[in-house]
Amino acid sequence: MNNFDLILRNVTQRKVRTGLTVFGIALGIFAIMVMGGMSEYFNRHADRGLDLMSDKIYIVSESGFFGGSLEDSMVSKARHIPGVFDAYGLLYLPYDMESLGMFGAFVVGLAPDKQELTLKEIKLTQGRLLARGDSYRAVVGSNVARQYGLDVGDELEIKSKKVQRTSTITTARNFTIVGAMEFTSSDFDYMIIIPLDIAKKFYDMEDKLTYIWAIPEEGVDSEDLSRRIELGVENVKTISPQELRKQSEQMLMVMNLITISAAVLAAIIGGLSVMNTMLMSVSERTREFGLMKAMGAEVRDILLLTMGESALMGILGGIIGIAGGSIFIYFMNEYLATMGTVLFAVTYRLMAISLLFAIFLGTMSGIFPAYRAAKMRPMEAMKYG
Amino acid sequence: MDEPVLRVRNLTKTYMQGKIPVHALNDVSFDVEKGEFLSIVGPSGSGKSTLLSMIGLLDKPTSGSVFIDDKEITKAKESEVPKLRREKIGFVFQHFNLIPTLTAFENVDIAMRFARIPKNERKKRAVELLTHMGLADRMKHKPSELSGGEQQRTAIARALSNHPAIILADEPTGEVDTKTRDMIVNLLKKLSEEGHTILVVTHDTAVAQQTGRIVTMRDGKIESDKKVMS
Repeated sequence: MNNFDLILRNVTQRKVRTGLTVFGIALGIFAIMVMGGMSEYFNRHADRGLDLMSDKIYIVSESGFFGGSLEDSMVSKARHIPGVFDAYGLLYLPYDMESLGMFGAFVVGLAPDKQELTLKEIKLTQGRLLARGDSYRAVVGSNVARQYGLDVGDELEIKSKKVQRTSTITTARNFTIVGAMEFTSSDFDYMIIIPLDIAKKFYDMEDKLTYIWAIPEEGVDSEDLSRRIELGVENVKTISPQELRKQSEQMLMVMNLITISAAVLAAIIGGLSVMNTMLMSVSERTREFGLMKAMGAEVRDILLLTMGESALMGILGGIIGIAGGSIFIYFMNEYLATMGTVLFAVTYRLMAISLLFAIFLGTMSGIFPAYRAAKMRPMEAMKYG
Repeated sequence: MDEPVLRVRNLTKTYMQGKIPVHALNDVSFDVEKGEFLSIVGPSGSGKSTLLSMIGLLDKPTSGSVFIDDKEITKAKESEVPKLRREKIGFVFQHFNLIPTLTAFENVDIAMRFARIPKNERKKRAVELLTHMGLADRMKHKPSELSGGEQQRTAIARALSNHPAIILADEPTGEVDTKTRDMIVNLLKKLSEEGHTILVVTHDTAVAQQTGRIVTMRDGKIESDKKVMS
């Protein structure tokens, strides 16, 4: 029996109640979109980062990422380990020296001939990569370009600090932008790549490196090679692609847990709101349901009518929540981009999950009230006057 | 007018009021022939409404049987009940009991939806019935926009929609003025003349006098069963 017209009529004729319920669901779905959008972005960010790093072994100082620095001599040592195709060093420093280095742009000192190995398939939206012989030149990531409004030919001021006994000497230098990278949804969006030799001079780190990246030869097991590098090069620790993936997954798990918690909370609030509305609706329409049964309505007719109403409210709430969430995320990303960062990603997967969740929420919350309506004795129709 | 469409045999209904049994119906038996217009009268608590709900499958008897068209409906399984209600019985209630959000047309249409009648047929039948009830120009109006008489005529059209074997009317004139009452009774009378079997429960002797047969109930039993000469 096609009763969609009856369902639609009931939903549209009780405007205030429908509006409030739909709003409740929409709020829940909005929360899922925003939290999920954040989670999607971090997932994508981690995936892209892992893709770009999947063929490299990170070599860091034994005392860890932030513990100390490596020396130039270690690069050639690493390069001579059997199974290493190539190894090269990088300097990695926060653009804003005052910051903690957790957020914002990074200045990366990289030898121009190692750019292709590092950037892999990342394309430039304008300009060119660094070339051998470039001095105070830079290639910037998309977020850096957006934050500072940089185009090829523009200048970007970079500062370095040297601590000398009781005073700090700050040196500033303009770097000319020669190229800008496309948006990659990875750490590369936050990079300001400058020639490694210039970076060493500018930051007064002549012999120092932050990381060494080693590329294994084809067919070589990177886990094995990582251990061999640790044995062959003194005072270093390696992070293999597998280890990097593991660490990244652990971090993502925390993010995803936060998202799931938000979703569960949204489900409880939204679900209770629909259930409350449907229970009210069923009790208001006791006579109507009893009457329908007296007219010969089957239990499934009434179940379909009431659950159809709650599912429809779920769909409406879902659509509004998805639209609202997407608009919010769009403007938040625009706003955050001016500050050099991006936090959210709206994906088809997220929209599909949100809509399915909204329908599930509406339908499930409608089950109990629908069952109550369907089981009503028709005698009640005669008693309710 | 000779084949019984309804047979009630030794119908008994006992409720428990706390620990005290209340015999709402006590060994009631009677037949109703096809096309009969019959009224059940009696004081409050005499069991007339209980009898109607047993015949209408709205409640189950303690013992005894009800046959409609030779089918013993009191033995029907729970799953068969909706179908029997749709095919055998048409209800008309005192409070009209129309769905307030639906128009007169839709109130008639909905009863046929439950019977899975195709849309075109439903539309044809609803228009035909409402026109027959003199409501051709009121079809698109909601119950709140209809008079008491118009609402009850809509309810009668709805009761007739699935061609039931019998129409059960519980105090159909209980909430209308005397002019409307006469109009409704005349309508029911006309329907019975057209071959519909109609059973009316009423307090109103003026209504009962218009029917062809009066069954008087007292204390759960049939006190008298008389044909009315018109």
